[in-house]
Amino acid sequence: MNPTTETLTPDTPGAGTRSAATSPNGAPHSASELKANILLVDDRPDKLLAIESILTSLNQNIVKARSGKEALKLLLKQDFAVILLDVSMPGMDGFETASLIRQRLNSEHTPIIFITSIGTTENHVSRGYSLGAVDYMLTPIVPEVLRTKISVFVDLHKQTELIRHQAEQLRLIEEAKHQRQLSEVADRLETETRRNRFFTLALEMLGIADLDGHLLQMNSSWEKVLGYTEAELKALTATDVVHPDDREQLLAGMAALRKGIALSAFEGRFRHKDGSYRWLAGTAAPFLAERLVYIFVRDVTPRKIAEDQVRQLNTELEQRITALTAANRELEAFNYSIAHDLRAPLRSMSGFAKALLEDEAANLSSAGQQYASRISRAARYMDTLLLDMLAYSRLAREDMRLACVPLEEPLNELLSLVEREIRERGAQVEVLSPLGEVQAHAPTLKQILSNLISNSLKFTAPDRPPRLRIFTTRQPGSVRLWVQDNGIGIHPQHHEKVFGLFQRLHDGNAYPGTGIGLALVRKGAERMGGRTGVESEPGQGSRFWVELPAPENNQHE
Amino acid sequence: MNNRILQIEDNPDDVLLTELAFKKAGASVTLEVATDGDKAIAALQSGGNSPPPACVLLDIKLPTMSGLEVLTWIRQQPGLKRVPVIMLTSSLLPEDIGRAYDLGANSYLIKPPDLNSLIALAKVIDQYWLHINTPPVDVPCLEKVA
Repeated sequence: MNPTTETLTPDTPGAGTRSAATSPNGAPHSASELKANILLVDDRPDKLLAIESILTSLNQNIVKARSGKEALKLLLKQDFAVILLDVSMPGMDGFETASLIRQRLNSEHTPIIFITSIGTTENHVSRGYSLGAVDYMLTPIVPEVLRTKISVFVDLHKQTELIRHQAEQLRLIEEAKHQRQLSEVADRLETETRRNRFFTLALEMLGIADLDGHLLQMNSSWEKVLGYTEAELKALTATDVVHPDDREQLLAGMAALRKGIALSAFEGRFRHKDGSYRWLAGTAAPFLAERLVYIFVRDVTPRKIAEDQVRQLNTELEQRITALTAANRELEAFNYSIAHDLRAPLRSMSGFAKALLEDEAANLSSAGQQYASRISRAARYMDTLLLDMLAYSRLAREDMRLACVPLEEPLNELLSLVEREIRERGAQVEVLSPLGEVQAHAPTLKQILSNLISNSLKFTAPDRPPRLRIFTTRQPGSVRLWVQDNGIGIHPQHHEKVFGLFQRLHDGNAYPGTGIGLALVRKGAERMGGRTGVESEPGQGSRFWVELPAPENNQHE
Repeated sequence: MNNRILQIEDNPDDVLLTELAFKKAGASVTLEVATDGDKAIAALQSGGNSPPPACVLLDIKLPTMSGLEVLTWIRQQPGLKRVPVIMLTSSLLPEDIGRAYDLGANSYLIKPPDLNSLIALAKVIDQYWLHINTPPVDVPCLEKVA
């Protein structure tokens, strides 16, 4: 149901009460506030009433009192624009009442009009005026005159009130303004106090100096850092305490400041009171109009010391690197010398021994021929030794750039090189392809494989033809290449020894060698981030392995 | 036929062995020897109007001038710049090998440690550089013709 349609129905019970509630309410009372108070004092009610009726048309607030006493009571409660006071009253008469009214601060200036009869005029008038009366009304009262007089006083009172009100308003405005100023000052004081705290509490050295470098104001950090009291600092200039080496820079900085250019990153040493120097770093901003420089610096001595240490360490490091590079170069020269100078006499030895055997055989005894062939063999061995040493030392120093190498590549190349040897010795080489790829330095990998294969072809058992099996196994992140043979095998106690430099398990007659091959295998594997090892038992053959990192893209295959 | 080979080699043993090797290889070559760079240049210059050697065997480590400097000089001489130069040295240094080829060496051979290998080498040099290979023709203004 719609409530709006319901209200349209005439017999709805609520309709009548609603219209009653909308009737106009209370009369305005603002007019009474503007009314002035007029006090009528007379012992006779008829006279009071008469005067009141005369004054009613003034539309002011008329208050009546039947005696001086009552009038005084009323005066305690309110102010009056004017008092009409009957002179002759029983008890306290008009004059007595007037003098009491005048004694009170509130009514000190309230105009009083005495009402008196004509007969007593002369005497009353002089007395009344002496008591502060402002006027006289003689009975019988002429209503028009009374109204006029009273309205004058009412107007006067209203004017006074208005002025007082305005004065009050003005005072309030002034007071508000004053309050505002006070709170502004308070705010400013608080802001300044906070700013001052920044100044005093800052760990940085904050200061204000003149353009000649005299500090005028500073916080306590200056004393903490430089050891001088504030008074001592004020007596000094920056140039007095600057380190001789930083003096020129400081003077240049001060010259810039005098031209109005701020210093954005000044650093320099300044003398502490104890004679030591502190590193200060910071900024300075000049304000030429005030001829002042604002300075913000901090003690960076610990940082400077650390920097110096780092610099010194770096210098030492560089020196060491230089020394190492020189040593490396020397080693390079040494290797070159081995390759060139040491091998030259060997060539002569083996060459002429050979020439002796071939061209001068007729002039030599068989012992002489044997000696010559021993010289030749020893020279050849020494040459191999030199070459192996050279290879080993190069391997140890070489810059190993690893790349992805498919293991079949170097292996097939090597196998084709030893093909003849394999065939001659009736050896069988089985490669379990695919072998996969490793991260390796190709030349080094080839050298390793070459050594492992020639090793397996060398240490063969006399009773059976060599059989080699080459295969790979995989671990997460790496590939292990195995070279398995059916040779003489190695006792477990020698498994580590065989990888040592110049380590040999056999004499040169049975299995000739330099003792460098497997050391080279190990060194090469290590240089490429890999490992190497052997599984073997005497008479059971050997399984040498080299483990190398798998290429990154298929590490998790 | 030009069968003159200039060997630039300071080690008298190596000179003797090379001679021996060529002899044992049965090669009919005339081996001329210069024992340092200066002497090599002098020998090549004094040739005058006679044709340059069929090839030069050049060691790297030499007194006064290095073999590579001699090679540089040869490649700058109008009458010599195309002469086949065969490095015959014991240096295995990759830098030396690279430099030699860069400077225009025709071949880089390592001195073999034993006589038999040296004989084999001499045989190959004789066969290849003196017989199989077509020697450079002296056309001084080849650049202009081209």
